Amino acid sequence: MDYRERWELKEYQSEQRLGRRALLLHGVIVVVLAGFLGVFWYLQIVKGADFALLAENNRLRRIPLPPTRGVVYDRREQVLASTRPALNLVLVREGLTDAEGQLKRLESVLGLPYEGLTARLRAMHSRPTFEPLLIKEDVQLADIAKVEARREWFPSVEVEETALRDYPDGPAVAHAMGYVGEVNETQLAKISDGSLQQGDIVGKSGIERQYDEILRGRRGWKLVTVNSLGRPFGSSQPGRIPEDGRPLRLTIDKRLQRALVEALAEEVGSGIFMDPSTGEVLALASTPGYDPNVFTAPVSHTTWTSLLSDPRRPLNDRAISSFYAPGSTFKVLMTVVGLETGAISPSTTVSCSGSVVIYGRPFLCWKKGGHGTVDVHRALVHSCNVFYYLLGRKVGIDAITKYAKMFSIGEMTGIDIPGETRGNPPSAEWKERIRKEPWYPGDTISVSIGQGLLAVTPVQMATMISAVANGGMLVRPHLAKDSAAAPAKIPVAASTLALIRGALADVVEEGTATRAQLGPIRVAGKTGTAQVFKKSAGVDADKLAKDERDHAWFIGYAPAEKPEIAFAIVIEHGGHGGTTAAPVARKVLEVFFEDRLPKPEPEEIPAAPGLQARLAPTPPPR
Amino acid sequence: MLRRRLLDRLDVPTIVAALALAAVGMTAIASATAEQPGRSGLWKAQLVWLGIASLAALVVVTVDYHIWAEFSLSLHGFAVALLVAVLVFGKEVGGNKSWLALGPVTFQPSEFAKWTTCLATAAFLAKRVPDRIRAVQGAHLTLIIGTPMLLIAKQPDMGTALTFVPVFLAALLIGGLRWRWVAGAVLAVGLLAPFGWHYLKPYQRERILTVVHPDRDPSGVGYQVRQSKIAVGSGGLTGKGLFKGTQNRLNFLPAPHTDFVLSVVSEELGFIGSAGVLVLLYYLLYRGLLAARSSQDRLGTYLSLLVVSWFMGQAAINIGMVLGLMPTIGVPLPFLSYGGTALISVMCGVGLIANVRGRRFVN
Repeated sequence: MDYRERWELKEYQSEQRLGRRALLLHGVIVVVLAGFLGVFWYLQIVKGADFALLAENNRLRRIPLPPTRGVVYDRREQVLASTRPALNLVLVREGLTDAEGQLKRLESVLGLPYEGLTARLRAMHSRPTFEPLLIKEDVQLADIAKVEARREWFPSVEVEETALRDYPDGPAVAHAMGYVGEVNETQLAKISDGSLQQGDIVGKSGIERQYDEILRGRRGWKLVTVNSLGRPFGSSQPGRIPEDGRPLRLTIDKRLQRALVEALAEEVGSGIFMDPSTGEVLALASTPGYDPNVFTAPVSHTTWTSLLSDPRRPLNDRAISSFYAPGSTFKVLMTVVGLETGAISPSTTVSCSGSVVIYGRPFLCWKKGGHGTVDVHRALVHSCNVFYYLLGRKVGIDAITKYAKMFSIGEMTGIDIPGETRGNPPSAEWKERIRKEPWYPGDTISVSIGQGLLAVTPVQMATMISAVANGGMLVRPHLAKDSAAAPAKIPVAASTLALIRGALADVVEEGTATRAQLGPIRVAGKTGTAQVFKKSAGVDADKLAKDERDHAWFIGYAPAEKPEIAFAIVIEHGGHGGTTAAPVARKVLEVFFEDRLPKPEPEEIPAAPGLQARLAPTPPPR
Repeated sequence: MLRRRLLDRLDVPTIVAALALAAVGMTAIASATAEQPGRSGLWKAQLVWLGIASLAALVVVTVDYHIWAEFSLSLHGFAVALLVAVLVFGKEVGGNKSWLALGPVTFQPSEFAKWTTCLATAAFLAKRVPDRIRAVQGAHLTLIIGTPMLLIAKQPDMGTALTFVPVFLAALLIGGLRWRWVAGAVLAVGLLAPFGWHYLKPYQRERILTVVHPDRDPSGVGYQVRQSKIAVGSGGLTGKGLFKGTQNRLNFLPAPHTDFVLSVVSEELGFIGSAGVLVLLYYLLYRGLLAARSSQDRLGTYLSLLVVSWFMGQAAINIGMVLGLMPTIGVPLPFLSYGGTALISVMCGVGLIANVRGRRFVN
């Protein structure tokens, strides 16, 4: 082989090798590209439907459409709660320039704290920019005008429309209506059918909570195409139309409600007025109150703390959840027990000398000199303790327990507002079970005058006195117009109740509650004084600090002959029931009987003769 | 006379394939940027760039590739100098210093360096490596390819740096390698990988882990890959229609006009579109391989094979990323992704293939 041939051979071999290497490269290219083709096939053809769904979920977002909450009316079609449009001031964060300047000018124009707003703007940093910063909720038109007048100062400030729950009477209806707020985690966890979602507005207390399902309605939604930031994009598609909440009619009478709140004024206490024959609640109030309107917009921390830390607990509905010793008002029930068990008769008399020794211990009557000889009528009218001490000893605790239960004392009345409490029933069994102590005979004596181991709520007393007024029917107090339950007949003799009614009329006429007198309308009732535990014995009430004074009760009904309205009122630390609680009742009754009462100058205009004629057939029993 | 001969031997199929890919890319860019504020005219800019790139390619075709090879070292040196200049005077965009401003025009020297690297490597292999690569020649190759790669990695544009790896591997393959070297290299990489992991930035590690566990962090690092896969998959067989891709139009896709331009094509044109791009790409690479085989000398063969490797490697990294098979690395898809310098660079690469193909009968 010559050189030339060797060179050519080598060149040939080299080219062969190069060709093989190019082929290898070609092979790699084919394999990789075929692999990619396979993956495309897998993603687009095999899994295409799955990814299409994922893309749709990416793209479409459900925008909730909140329903309008049902309007609540009182018994005369007056609005107690409705929904009103409200305006919010927002700072648009998209394309935001000179945020500092705008917020500083807001501080000078509207007095909104610059520091707070900038802190909240910073806190929103990680949120999508299309979500605006809420500057101020529910702004007044005057404030909006201030901003609009300086439009060029606030290029990013806009007005946004929203809806807020509105209670036109505010504090006057607070505890009956309750309030609404954003649903919380606990409520969400309880309801699993998906009818509630984060951000929904639900009733938090009172009627709003009790009838939330009626009032709330059902949220709807629309489907909106959004971009990756969640910003709505293009047109929306119909989803579900929201179902507005249904209206609700209450048995409340707004006039009485207002009158009651005004009458309670600065006192701490509560009152409940109802139709004794049906249980329809005409007015229910607890003081101090609060303005339910403050809860409609997200509640500020300070508002919450001030409401929660107020020692007078304004959020508490005292009419249904606070319980007190009934004091002398319990003598009404004791009279029933005495007459029904036969322990006493209308002619039974007792001599009151101001005190009596029972089980070796002296028990005092409130009247130091004593009442002298009293029968049951006089004992009830003048609230003679000695009479009832002896009666209690005679009937024993079990009889008291039995009748208290019949009249729903120490029992749930079933009123349709959440938060009712039971109190402490007058019961030996209850004491043994809860307190783990035996029932002493002396306990019965204290209970006989409504003190000691007995605590009742105002609504229980209102139910009890209603039963006395209506001739022995136990009604269920209620606020929703169509929720009346059939009253249950209490097995008591008509004569027993008639005797009590006669005495109660005289209590107002000549006894402890003369301040409840109402001209031609005869009011019947019973005052009570619940001893406060702290009170040291033997100290004159007037010398005690306000919070050491007794709680004042007044329960009753009117007109005495044919009751149309029954009530129970408690003034905490009000001292004597006749002094503080009775005038409250009168002020509300004045409104209730407005049409039948003489006009402002009562001396000049005589009572209508028709009214007197109507009163004549049933002269008050003495 | 000269003009007619030039036209006669112009490699029309290769150029048509490249222009077709660019056309698909421009359509996707138009769709991807339609809703992006201030970018809706970007496809027109890309069209202008394509015109400039075609002119550049024509210049590359016109001058005999032997002459290009003659000046390859100077050109490559110039490219490396530009890369050094970038590190000194460069303009920082998105954390990377990879842009050089020349008056109103900014460009990426790294794209130019890809082209000169192919040229210089081919010239070196043809001139200095008659049979198999020896140690000294291997070191030379590493210097030629590694220098720009290192400078780019310093920007730090890891994606672009990574595209030099396939070119390097291809150079070793076609230059001829002893098997013990290959074994040694595999061993070395295997041993050094854990240390390499140590030197990676946390976000780079996240990206690698995301490939292994795609659902690791669907809203974070995994988000881009996940959205890209949703875009591709939801395209189905025929796609959602041009300009109707929801993933693209509603901004779910990251960088839809650059790195994820193929996701747009796949979403809007479906499997047919994806397969079409793959077929066009394969045809272009096949034309390159054809040019390599028909070349009368080894320089032409090397040149074509290296350009093919460059295209293939960069495309594979990009498609792998789009499909979630590779970590998310900013590597554009040749011909399709938006970018002027990149388009000029790849069209000049096509110019080299056409150059070799057109001169196969010349002796």
